[in-house]
Amino acid sequence: MSQPRLYNVERESLFTRLDFRTKLALMTVLVLVAFIWESPLLGSVLALAVGLGCLAAGIKIAYIRAVLILLLPFLLMLTITQGFFADDLIRSRTGQTTLTPIFSLPRSWWLIGGATMTLEGVLYAVNIVAKTLTMTLAIPLGVFTTDVNSMIIGMVKAGVPYKIAFIFSSTLRFLPLLFDQAQSIIEAQRLRGLALESMGPLKRLTVYARIAVPLILGVLVRSQTVEIVLQSKAFSGSTHRTYLHESRLGPADYVFLALSLAFLVAAAVAYIGFDIGKFGGPI
Amino acid sequence: MDAIAILDKVSYMCPRSDRLVLADVSLTIRQGEFLGLIGPTGAGKTTLCLTLNGIVPQFYGGRFFGRITVAGLDSLESPVSTLAQHVGIVLDDPEVQLTATSVENEIAFALENLNVPRDEIIARIGEVLEAVRLEGLEKRHPHELSGGQKQRLAIAAALALRPELLVLDEPTSQLDPVGTQEIFATVRELNRELGISVLMASHAAEELAEHADRLALISGGVLLQSGTPDALYGDVDLLQKHDLRPPQVATTFRQLEHAGLNVPRIPVRLDQAIQAVQDLRAAGKLPTPDSRTAPPVTGVGQQPSLILPSPKAPLLSARDLHYTYDNGTQALRGVSLDIAAGEYLLIAGQNGAGKSTLVKHFLRLLDPTTGTVRVGDKDTRDATMGELAQRIGYVAQNPDNQIFSASVEAEVGFALKHLGYSPHVVETRVEEALTAMDLLGDRHRHPLSLPKGDRARVVIAAILAMHPDVVIFDEPTTGQDYRGARQILDISRDLHQAGKTIIVVTHHLYLMADYAQRVIIMGKGDILLDGDVRTVFNATGTLRGTYLVPPQAILLAQAACPSSHRHSMLTPDEVAACLARGGA
Repeated sequence: MSQPRLYNVERESLFTRLDFRTKLALMTVLVLVAFIWESPLLGSVLALAVGLGCLAAGIKIAYIRAVLILLLPFLLMLTITQGFFADDLIRSRTGQTTLTPIFSLPRSWWLIGGATMTLEGVLYAVNIVAKTLTMTLAIPLGVFTTDVNSMIIGMVKAGVPYKIAFIFSSTLRFLPLLFDQAQSIIEAQRLRGLALESMGPLKRLTVYARIAVPLILGVLVRSQTVEIVLQSKAFSGSTHRTYLHESRLGPADYVFLALSLAFLVAAAVAYIGFDIGKFGGPI
Repeated sequence: MDAIAILDKVSYMCPRSDRLVLADVSLTIRQGEFLGLIGPTGAGKTTLCLTLNGIVPQFYGGRFFGRITVAGLDSLESPVSTLAQHVGIVLDDPEVQLTATSVENEIAFALENLNVPRDEIIARIGEVLEAVRLEGLEKRHPHELSGGQKQRLAIAAALALRPELLVLDEPTSQLDPVGTQEIFATVRELNRELGISVLMASHAAEELAEHADRLALISGGVLLQSGTPDALYGDVDLLQKHDLRPPQVATTFRQLEHAGLNVPRIPVRLDQAIQAVQDLRAAGKLPTPDSRTAPPVTGVGQQPSLILPSPKAPLLSARDLHYTYDNGTQALRGVSLDIAAGEYLLIAGQNGAGKSTLVKHFLRLLDPTTGTVRVGDKDTRDATMGELAQRIGYVAQNPDNQIFSASVEAEVGFALKHLGYSPHVVETRVEEALTAMDLLGDRHRHPLSLPKGDRARVVIAAILAMHPDVVIFDEPTTGQDYRGARQILDISRDLHQAGKTIIVVTHHLYLMADYAQRVIIMGKGDILLDGDVRTVFNATGTLRGTYLVPPQAILLAQAACPSSHRHSMLTPDEVAACLARGGA
């Protein structure tokens, strides 16, 4: 039966057909532009575009939802702290002397009483949230749409030493196995009559903690066997090797590379020359 | 005949151990031979296999004495990567030795590392996939393959190197019987046609007897004997002394010897055994078959008939059960089944027949796509997995995934504490379960420090502590040697005698004749046969049709016993009695 795979989307798309080098370039450009832009509007548009790109590439909504749920506490905390306490930072960036208040906390509150949430603070938080989302979603857009083997070849072609590329890909391969083993251990615990669904969070946590013992043991045994297997297949023999699959840049790759480069240059020029993308700038 | 590998007085100790895993082993593997390596678990077979490509001691460390030469290379002086070009290796567990994300990449990996040109790699992929019957699966992810297919892929990956020596460490332990036969036949063909020398460690006695040129018996790290399969498997007493299982025909003829018959040579293959019966009859040493006068063998002789449904109310039942996995595989197609309290049921079938899928429904590990499953009078959909688990104990194939605690005692009491039993009840039940599994002396040890067979007993003890009505053993004999398999099955029999309902899922029919009462044969998600063990095991045509191999003693009986009894034998003892009595 099929096992869970964290990588690889299940259908073909433009993204799956692109060379991994192109996707590496695209991911780099997206991360750089997200890093440069401080505009909440542009940042949000970029994050939205990457999110839509993920969906178009076949990355499951369930995955994106899981990422958002995981990030939600962090993003909420970010919005609150920036909304209330980023006044000085915003003033130094924008030169504004007065900020637009949204509401203030009662002065009687201990320590934070009287703090005011400002519109600019919230917008600055939106900018950081957008950066985070863009960077978080750009990686699966490149990695999940690429077969691990193609990833290795792409990385090697891009100048990454083979063994480093292999270690990277092995980590990706290992994660679903680890996930699968953890699932089977939890299943084994439930088969001992443990009704996890009716346990409180603390008790459930102590039961889950027991997973560590067989999981670590399994990982150690598996790692050693994998090492034996790799050595038995002449993994560490020579620096020269051939490849079953070839990595070639096609017309679509060149178009994407050119567009990515053009986008990066345009974003940088607009930022430096016209303040577009700056916090408090024209857009 | 030239040697491809020479082990000269090889001894080996693992790091931080003063026990010899291999002790003064001298063995020559001849060019082009198929050498079988037999021995009980812990004998040193895997270590010996791994010395040949230098993994031992180059990877493991430890203390190594003596000298090994493989294809003219010293195993200590040559790096593993160099030895890998001469020695292909296949390990026992296909799950961990598959590292690529597609079948073709798995095969290509070692070839790429050895700088083999791309066109040659492509040619070899087709060649080896054909050899192991995985054509058309080039693009599949290895994890999408069945257990048997995975192991065939691992073998294909090793074959792709076209090594001079192919070392296989229990390569068929995860396969169904016909898969095992196919792998043996494939390896034999490669051995004969390409001249590849083969060293195969295996417990598959019938197959080694048929295919190996020579056997080496190792026990306690010591090479005890080497010789032809006829010589080694014919020495039934020697094998039994070392907890090894001889081919069933050899056991049958040893029984004839015990009965006073002078057998010139114990046969180890089915064809030899049939011929031996004819020769002994011609020489007047065995009576000629005569079913009219032959007395029936005790306990046998009934005509084959499918079992009638038990008159008791079913404890477990399935009605028109269909199950389709997310990937579209239809694993169960309308299974209807009743299991009464107190039955000992064997569910057999080839890999992928739907055996495990069926039993998982009783525990709500899976819910029916359509149809119903009931435990007692309750639909499983109305019960939680926790509730069902208190009535049905499940022993998984790998006990290590079922062990979480730091001591045997804590492990056995683990679930009880979480289920809210009082300390007194927990203590009493733990005591009972440890006593039943003979683990009282190990109660304070870490479960994972125990041998594999004992770890399985810890899991069984933990299940027994919950006082379940039913215990399911899912592939309990896979990866076990004969002694380990018998130990677990003996426990299952004891539990049955104590009133538990037992369900065993396996494809190792030859082990089950002494245990199972009722047998269900599954194929392609449906029940093909449901009857008493004697009837089903003798339905050899149906068994073969579903890729199961009937026990060899039954095949001998059907070929050599008189027509009135040839479809009612079950064990080597019965077949020997039938032959000795001249017709029954």
